[in-house]
Amino acid sequence: MFRDSVIIMRKEMRRMFTDRRLLFMLVVLPLVMLPLMYSFMGKANKTRMAEINSYSSRITVCQGQGGGEVSDLFLESLSMLNAHIETSDLEQIDSLKQRVIDKDIELLIVMPGDMNGDILDNTVLNFSIFYNSTGDYSNYAFDQVRSSFSAVNDAIVRLRILEMGMSEDMLKAYTINKFLAADEISDLAEEGSVMGKLIGVMMPFFIVIYLFANSMKVGLDSVAGEKERGTLAMLLVNQVSRLSIVLGKMISVMVAAIVGAVSSAIGLKIASRYLIDMVGDSGASISEYTMGTTAILQFSIIVIPLAILISSLVLVVSTFARNVKEGQGMIMPVYIAVMVMGVTTMQTGDVPPEWMRMAPVFNSLVVLKDIFMQNALWSNVIFSLATSLVVSALLIFVTLRMFNDERVLFRI
Amino acid sequence: MLRVENLSKEFHSGRGKNAKTVQAVKNLSFQCKPGEIYGLLGPNGAGKTTTLRCLSTLIKPTSGNAWIDQFNVLDHGQMFRSKIGFLTSDMKLDGYFSPDYMMNWFGRLNKMQDSEIEQRKEKLFVDLKMTDFIHKKIDELSSGMKQKTAVAISLIHDPDVIIFDEPTNGLDIVTSKSVTDFLVSRAESGKIVILSTHNMTIAEKLCDRFGILVEGELKEEGTLSGIIQGSDWDNLEDVFFSYIMPDSTVGGEHV
Repeated sequence: MFRDSVIIMRKEMRRMFTDRRLLFMLVVLPLVMLPLMYSFMGKANKTRMAEINSYSSRITVCQGQGGGEVSDLFLESLSMLNAHIETSDLEQIDSLKQRVIDKDIELLIVMPGDMNGDILDNTVLNFSIFYNSTGDYSNYAFDQVRSSFSAVNDAIVRLRILEMGMSEDMLKAYTINKFLAADEISDLAEEGSVMGKLIGVMMPFFIVIYLFANSMKVGLDSVAGEKERGTLAMLLVNQVSRLSIVLGKMISVMVAAIVGAVSSAIGLKIASRYLIDMVGDSGASISEYTMGTTAILQFSIIVIPLAILISSLVLVVSTFARNVKEGQGMIMPVYIAVMVMGVTTMQTGDVPPEWMRMAPVFNSLVVLKDIFMQNALWSNVIFSLATSLVVSALLIFVTLRMFNDERVLFRI
Repeated sequence: MLRVENLSKEFHSGRGKNAKTVQAVKNLSFQCKPGEIYGLLGPNGAGKTTTLRCLSTLIKPTSGNAWIDQFNVLDHGQMFRSKIGFLTSDMKLDGYFSPDYMMNWFGRLNKMQDSEIEQRKEKLFVDLKMTDFIHKKIDELSSGMKQKTAVAISLIHDPDVIIFDEPTNGLDIVTSKSVTDFLVSRAESGKIVILSTHNMTIAEKLCDRFGILVEGELKEEGTLSGIIQGSDWDNLEDVFFSYIMPDSTVGGEHV
């Protein structure tokens, strides 16, 4: 039986590795596309940030009667910003608000009138700042102004405390890490594990997506395509059992999925420097990250059964569908469900809900996350392995039933 | 010896009020002995292809059975398939590979040793005049070359029973002749050949016995002389038309 499966698999493999178009889609495209995509996204992100930082914001200030020294303090803090400051009358406020809406100016600041008097009376000053949250420049200007005004606030409060003859330290109940020795570091995470955390959040998502996408590329054609072209019947009338056909096709789909996923992982490794640009400076370096022997072993124990499970799933759909087009329509909701699982795994913390450890696919993703962070428990690894294999066996059984059902195979 | 006994096949479609049953083949029985070419004739929808598909184990008969020696289609599917070479016009080959590669592949799937495959290939390539294109991709071949390849592949394991549905359909006269000559040579070497065709000339020329199938029922069976003896029919075409167009003046009447 396995001899026949190997014969079938070898033909599929031969096609996969000699068909230039398929090889390009499966191996070359993810290898080139990922670095290209992430370098483009990373560069676009960096360029945009640089653009925002160098942009001279247009800020209009309206002030009531009075003003004085305190007012000057706030206006002076604004002058430190990379901004073009205009002043205007309070009567213009409605037209100025419209200019914020129209993104003609980024910010409108309405300052209270007699600020000196208010400060002396210990009255809280009430500023109004109008911005437009749909504009990146407006959001950025709002953050900058809040930060500048906060510094002025601190200076005024410090002055008040000193005038009362008290130490400004009375404003602080604690400090953190102020007295660490020069060679002492506060983040005691093991070397490489910071990157492990970053990789652990992203990688399971990418792995499951690429396993699925590559299984689809080969798996839908494997049965539905053969039905469509009329080549399946030629195989079925020979001395080969249906189980051998199913296993042969499943293994070839799985190999395609793994080859594609490995190619994608290499592409991702090349792309990781741009990925760091995208997620910001976490202080982690990709070159620091290495996986130990145990983690590599656990990774293989999880990824291969996961590939079997996904290949079996694609093969069930491929066997049921009349043709590749129908198969694509049927597989799409499953693909979206798997994507949602991947995203959900990205968003769970270090201790995921218990049900995630029970559900197939989900539990593999959760364990993969643990493996990248190098803290996976063997009990969880074995449980995920078992669920993937049991569900795969079930799917292979369903596929086999369909292969023996002429209504499905020939849609009579 | 091939023995078909009371073979019936029903197809069901729709559900509830829309449920419909079509009886494609009704209690079909016939036998073929080694060296014989048996022609299964009938108009479109008569049940020829369904019968042949049942014999190939692609679909299961609703009732009845078929035997080749001690193996039957219901209980010994894989062994039964080892005894047959089956080809219909809607069966295609993977166009990405060459005839040579596909012959090797199907040979291995039919449990043959590499040396056996080589010997068999050599004979089939010569008999079917294929040597010029065995290393070309099937996609690049003409329809005649493709058909010859399909014939060769279906016979790679030298089966005892050859079941072909319209094997000369769409072929030019030269290719058609090389295929029919080949089938005759197979029968002469002791194989059973079952042919389904619309071409009465080919059927009369090739077949030793005939079964005429109309609406799933076997209406006539025997040699041409046996069928037309004592009737107004002169040839196979008259017999055929008398069943599919009973009011026509073309066919005569069976006395």
